Amino acid sequence: MKDPVPPAMPAPVAHLQFKAALLLALFVLLVGGTALYLMYARGTFESTQRLVLVAEDSEGVSVGMDMTFAGFPIGRVRRVELAEDGNARIVIDVPRKDARWLRTSSMFTLVRSLVGGAALRAYSGVPTDPPLPDGAERKVLIGDTAAELPRLVASARELLQNLAQLSASDAALATSLANLQALTDKAKGPRGVMGVLGSESDAQKVSTALARANALLARLDSMAAKADAQVLGPDGLVREGRATIVQLGALLADARASLKQVDAVLAEAQGVATNVRAATTDLGALRSEVDATVRKVEQLVDEVNRKWPFARDTELKLR
Amino acid sequence: MFAAPSIQEALVELARAAKRAVAGWWGIVRLGAQLLEMALTPSTYSGEAWRNLAQHIVQDTTPMLAWFTVLTTLISLIVIRIVMVTAVSYGLTQYALEMVVRVLVLELIPLTAVLFAALRCTIPNAAEVAALRPHEGWETSVSAGREPLRREVLPRVVSGLFSALMLAAVSCTVTLVVAYLSVYGPVTSGLAAYTRTVGHVFNPAVSLILGLKIVFLGIAVALVPMAAVLDAAPTRRRATSAELRGLVRMFVVILLIEAASLVGNYY
Repeated sequence: MKDPVPPAMPAPVAHLQFKAALLLALFVLLVGGTALYLMYARGTFESTQRLVLVAEDSEGVSVGMDMTFAGFPIGRVRRVELAEDGNARIVIDVPRKDARWLRTSSMFTLVRSLVGGAALRAYSGVPTDPPLPDGAERKVLIGDTAAELPRLVASARELLQNLAQLSASDAALATSLANLQALTDKAKGPRGVMGVLGSESDAQKVSTALARANALLARLDSMAAKADAQVLGPDGLVREGRATIVQLGALLADARASLKQVDAVLAEAQGVATNVRAATTDLGALRSEVDATVRKVEQLVDEVNRKWPFARDTELKLR
Repeated sequence: MFAAPSIQEALVELARAAKRAVAGWWGIVRLGAQLLEMALTPSTYSGEAWRNLAQHIVQDTTPMLAWFTVLTTLISLIVIRIVMVTAVSYGLTQYALEMVVRVLVLELIPLTAVLFAALRCTIPNAAEVAALRPHEGWETSVSAGREPLRREVLPRVVSGLFSALMLAAVSCTVTLVVAYLSVYGPVTSGLAAYTRTVGHVFNPAVSLILGLKIVFLGIAVALVPMAAVLDAAPTRRRATSAELRGLVRMFVVILLIEAASLVGNYY
């Protein structure tokens, strides 16, 4: 039986062409933009240089994994291949802008941890070295935590074996302990520790030596007492020394008084000197007066001579 | 006494079921080939046919685009938050971002987008065609020149495919942006590291598989329900069972495509 009612036709849409074009454009934009972003993220638009790392074992290295420098990714594994000599060749693309971190002296390591993948790291110790050329080949140092474990277990086993040998009943340590036990047993005997040292005669000698040492010590003690009396007794050196020091103090006081008197004498002498200087000044004045008097007397004699008839002609005449 | 006929009947029934299944799958392939041939004809994109196609595209995609974007953002936020918190608690933060991109962009979001397009667009479109079929003139015009296929079926299938692809593209882009904002916040300083992580995940093989997966999922959800209703007899009573059969076939195809993509990505 046919259905008499046809389904309702969709209502016409306003600006249909524009909306459809907009949707298509949005779709193309999204797909194209995503594709371009992914190509950029994959480094398609970057110029790179090649670095080949040679490793004995490339386990854990995968295409696309990063090589880091100081924690920053500066390269990406492009290919891993097996060389003719049986070594693994890890081909890495390094963007040219990041290649400046790699130098000819750079070291490369491949570290495999227990959790997570392997990590390729680069270290440049001397930043002034020439930059790493394009296509350079370098050996990679491998540090493998998983490979370290068996080595660690082997070392631990060796250590445990040594311990077991040490603690065995016929081991040297057990024998030494037994000897020590015997020694302490002897020390607990009637002769004590002396019994450990050797035979009876030796022990006797040691005892004699000890007795003489005791006597020596007693004598030394009495000598020390005498020396004490000599030095610190009532007529000892210390008391006499102290009296001498007191006398010296008095002597010093006398000397100080004598010096004061000398000072006074010197002061007087200074006064005398001052008086002498004043007398000298007076003598100067006296002398000038005597000079004046003599000059006057001389003028007087000249005058007498001029007036005297027998006087010689003493005039000076200009010609 | 009674076992032999029942086994015979069971075998006959099994053979009939197998024949029906093979015929159903063949119907899908045949319809796909017919529609592909029409879609590659330039006249489909001119005049009345283009207006018809544009109207279906706009009416199928536009209404759900906005709120599907909101829905995707919410789902992404929740999943990213769960992954980040779990990664932090296990001390594996350096792998969290890569895991977010892999789980969401490669696996979950495209599948969600395609299923959403199927529920909101392609299955209702198939139901519309099923409702059109009992009318006068459908069968005769089909046998005469395949005009109903060109006029009614092709625009709906192309629109369903476009809708699925559009939703997948929008949701993947939104998820990438939300993942960045969730991990680094509204700053540009993390862009280089994020781009590097995205580039690390999307190697050429993974990108190709993702693209092919989305296209094939879109074709599956657009074509399979339509083929199921066209394959069934043109009565309203049978239409419901045909839609159910179409749904089952669609989910089987989606499952196969997902399995193939997982094998391609991880083996």
